[in-house]
Amino acid sequence: MNAPDRFELFVLPDGVKKLTITPDTKIPNAATFKVEKEDHTLANMLRMQLLEDPKVLFAGYKMPHPLDHYFILKVQTTPDTTPAHVLGNALTELIQNVGSMKNKFEMELIRAKSEAQKIDNGEGEDLSSHQVDMDF
Amino acid sequence: MDMYNGGPEVSIRALKKDSMKFVLSNTDLSVANALRRIMIAEVPTMAIDMVEIETNSTVLTDEFIAHRLGMIPLSSFDVDRIQYTRDCTCTLYCPNCSVELTLHVKVNVDYDDMNDPTIDKTRQVTSLDLVTSDESVKPVSDDRAHPILIVKMRPGQELKLKCVAKKGVAKEHAKWSPVYGVSFEYDPYNKLRHSHYWIEEDEKLEWGVSANAVEEAPIDPNEPFDYNAKPDRYYMEVETSGCMKPEDVALRAMTIMQDKLGGLQIKLDDEFKEDTQRWGY
Repeated sequence: MNAPDRFELFVLPDGVKKLTITPDTKIPNAATFKVEKEDHTLANMLRMQLLEDPKVLFAGYKMPHPLDHYFILKVQTTPDTTPAHVLGNALTELIQNVGSMKNKFEMELIRAKSEAQKIDNGEGEDLSSHQVDMDF
Repeated sequence: MDMYNGGPEVSIRALKKDSMKFVLSNTDLSVANALRRIMIAEVPTMAIDMVEIETNSTVLTDEFIAHRLGMIPLSSFDVDRIQYTRDCTCTLYCPNCSVELTLHVKVNVDYDDMNDPTIDKTRQVTSLDLVTSDESVKPVSDDRAHPILIVKMRPGQELKLKCVAKKGVAKEHAKWSPVYGVSFEYDPYNKLRHSHYWIEEDEKLEWGVSANAVEEAPIDPNEPFDYNAKPDRYYMEVETSGCMKPEDVALRAMTIMQDKLGGLQIKLDDEFKEDTQRWGY
């Protein structure tokens, strides 16, 4: 009856910002990022990637409440850079990684499918007598 | 800089019609886990979301049948063509954002057979009785001998209804999940000590090693514990409901991952421009 709508989990309402940056008032080179409608999937990936960066002194995230669908990411960096900058780098790196993962997967798929084709045709058989129709 | 130089590697170990096994390596645990989470909860599929019941004289209640219909996997390889209803311009639903399926089964009373106990008069209403308005979205059952049972009916009963299948993600309801199971394992010998096995007496005897252990070098008992070691090989197995090919689930998951990261990067750039004067970033 008073249950919240299930789409609140992933639909960004009008007028709500996906990302808000709040610089820390007490710690130098530190900021809190609030990301709306995202969960551990993205947050943990970002945190681990940020920790790979030697300029990052601290990176941690939390989802403050299970009924609130956002996470906060706290980042502190060395003085020669900024939290926003290192987050940008982490994102670039991750996008590259996922892109190359996808490429590798597609290459492997072609290999796996052609191998499956060979098995289907039966080993030692004349392959030229078979029509090869692949849908990729 | 980091230990995962050169980017992730993929190796497919088995590829079947509705399941696949692959090894993801040279990447962080968080990336592998994100892929798993997205495959389970964020790859869109089609599922029955609304049911209008006209006649139901079966033994099951309307909501019971509606729930069972929702659980039937529908072929979703063409799901990109369909919009989310909330993004559609229509008021309730339309062919751009939904697919209609109808079902009408009426079991007539055969007075000649009525009193013959040797004749099975039960009519099984299955997913094969659903008539779709769009051939690309229909109940998954290649094997017509084993369709999905919805309700059993006896002579004289009738079930007539209209279903509306919509596009959605499993974050909203698990019926939209394209996968039945995603298995995920790393470090089968537990060299990293991430697992703590509950044992009676002997760990080796009671737990053994998993099938994925053949892919890795066995543990050397003289080897000291490497406290800097990180996981880097992930054994994944994807079993789909049949609504999509397993390789498509993985590929779509990776695309969604890219969109997520890319979307945030754009937002960060926007903030960056806005806040340059304000915060000095």
